[in-house]
Amino acid sequence: MDKKEKLNIGLYGFTGCNGDQLVILHSEDQLLDFWKSANIKSFSLAKSDNEEIELDIAFVEGSICNEEQAKHLKEIRSRSKLLIAIGACACYGGIQAMEVSPSWEERFKAVYGENVLEVRTPIPPQPLSAFVKVDFALPGCPIDAKQFFLMFTQLLHGHTPHLPDYPVCAECRWKENDCLLLKGIFCIGPVVAGGCGAVCPSHGLPCVGCWGPVVEGNVDSQWNLLKEKGYSLEAIKRRLSIHSGKGLSEWFKKMAGAVSNET
Amino acid sequence: MKREIVVEPMSRVEGEGSIHIQIENGKVKKVHFNILEGTRLIETLVIGKTPEEEVSIACRICAICTLSHRYAALRALEKALGIKIHAKAHWMRTLMHLGEFLESNALHVFLLALPDFFGYPSAIAMLDKYAEEVTQGLEIKKFGNKIMRLTSGRMIHGENPTIGGFGKYLDKETLLALQKEADALLPFAERAVHLLGKLDFPSYFEEETTFMCCEPENGEYGIVGDRIRISDGEVVPVEEYQRLTNEMFSPHSSAKHCLYKGKPYTVGALARMNNLGERLNGVASTLFETYWNKRWLKNPLYNNVAQAIELVWCLQQIPFVIENILEHVDDPPLAKPTRNTGEGVGAVEAPRGTLYHHYWIKDGLVAKANLIIPTGQSLEDLEKYMRKAVEALLQQNADDETLRLQSEMIARAYDPCISCSTHLVSLERI
Repeated sequence: MDKKEKLNIGLYGFTGCNGDQLVILHSEDQLLDFWKSANIKSFSLAKSDNEEIELDIAFVEGSICNEEQAKHLKEIRSRSKLLIAIGACACYGGIQAMEVSPSWEERFKAVYGENVLEVRTPIPPQPLSAFVKVDFALPGCPIDAKQFFLMFTQLLHGHTPHLPDYPVCAECRWKENDCLLLKGIFCIGPVVAGGCGAVCPSHGLPCVGCWGPVVEGNVDSQWNLLKEKGYSLEAIKRRLSIHSGKGLSEWFKKMAGAVSNET
Repeated sequence: MKREIVVEPMSRVEGEGSIHIQIENGKVKKVHFNILEGTRLIETLVIGKTPEEEVSIACRICAICTLSHRYAALRALEKALGIKIHAKAHWMRTLMHLGEFLESNALHVFLLALPDFFGYPSAIAMLDKYAEEVTQGLEIKKFGNKIMRLTSGRMIHGENPTIGGFGKYLDKETLLALQKEADALLPFAERAVHLLGKLDFPSYFEEETTFMCCEPENGEYGIVGDRIRISDGEVVPVEEYQRLTNEMFSPHSSAKHCLYKGKPYTVGALARMNNLGERLNGVASTLFETYWNKRWLKNPLYNNVAQAIELVWCLQQIPFVIENILEHVDDPPLAKPTRNTGEGVGAVEAPRGTLYHHYWIKDGLVAKANLIIPTGQSLEDLEKYMRKAVEALLQQNADDETLRLQSEMIARAYDPCISCSTHLVSLERI
């Protein structure tokens, strides 16, 4: 490492709650090492002397909700070797990209009426991948600090980051939690990506699905498990839709067997 | 001659904002605090969801005051569903709420305000001369974060506080350790009040305004209530919030603005201190008596001192709240709804001011929702004070740099963002 120059990195935030950047800032114990291990060129949530230059890695939080943001995102992409989406908003569009009816246009009218915003041109919320190539996506609402720093370290050393490909259910078993489904509580853990450490079931509460749908070989049987427990497609879809944004319909399309037969 | 002063971007809560000032022939033409944040239409997303699902969505509005949103939503939904929570759940919620106030106020006081008033570009740059003050401040913030993580299940958007109570309660050992830690941090917060309280704030933009905050049920200083206290003496049930806030569209802002009786008003720490400060006790009361004066009714910069006094109040409250939790040995199960159709308004103080959540539930699902956030309520006052400051400074032939710095300082006093955006201002001359 000593001969090699430090990587230039930038952290950016679009529309969301800033929670993913805050997870990094709140990690006091790792923050100093993080700061020292790379050249943090831009991180406007944390510092003011930002340089908008060529980057090795851009970490981007938030969804794209107006045309000006889309332009800015493309500009960041154009000067970054790698662009990494961090958090549910960047990966899937976040709660604001939830698939609901009526349409975004109709709902926008319901909130703002015929009024016109002078300062920005709003568009339906989208994940980053709707506008630019995303090299890697770290899900979570918010992201998990351990997962972020692991991914960051892997990238620093030139490795391809690897995410867990198992559902929340697996983490529940490792923690020896009582299965909520067996207690008659509606939990979508079987079809949600792991990585949070099964935080909600560990508190005796059902999974809310904030890591988005799991993409893994055995998802058919996991899906069937929920169906066997008597939960309707409508209820599963509604619960899963909350944090899956634009990822939901894509997931349904991708899934073979049991899941795709339902759509 | 035209002058234009642009502060962009100026980070704020949940995203993007900027200041835009236009001066023509020596007269102020426009003073705008633009809210550029992308629209999220949260109220439309919760329709058709179960109350539990709603709570999981509502808290995602903001990562800094995630628990205030969760608390306001829980209060509203539990009213709508006829749920009475157990006393232990009530005290646990109070503890989580205090944790968030510590985190949010400490972040603003130590990372944003202190560098402004001591002429430094950032808190990091202050470390040479004010190492103790800054590190002690960060200790308080870290303690706030810890309480949030322990009570809610994780640092941000923890789901443990839920409809009817908590999934899991804290054990005695953890609670006793928190009690000790609060006691140990109290002198740090006290010191911060002395540091800020002794500052001499500029007075040229002062003007009286209206302040609003929750009226606590126990008649003490507090951050939760079913009624709203207004500085003109009126006390109004939260159900009448629409009469108080009169939300309206403003073309330069994707956050709606609010007016009370056609006039701007202020919410947040300064409003709470002006309306309820006399009720404080212990060290917090002594500090209030020492530093409060009638200029607090006219000058938003005192919000910074008010936030620091609240840090003391929070640290004083925590041991008392923990004692109340410990009185209940057994963990109560989640309280159940007594009906599945109803309406409820829930209000809490978020660190930046009164937060309203209003829900209509039909057959167990959300039929309609209305949310009013603190930042939107203070926006008209924020712009009013910036305009007054610019007008007064123009009389003194102030240069653009001074206009920029002073308007930024006023905007920042309202705590619109946690970002250390001390030098993010660009200046244009026309």
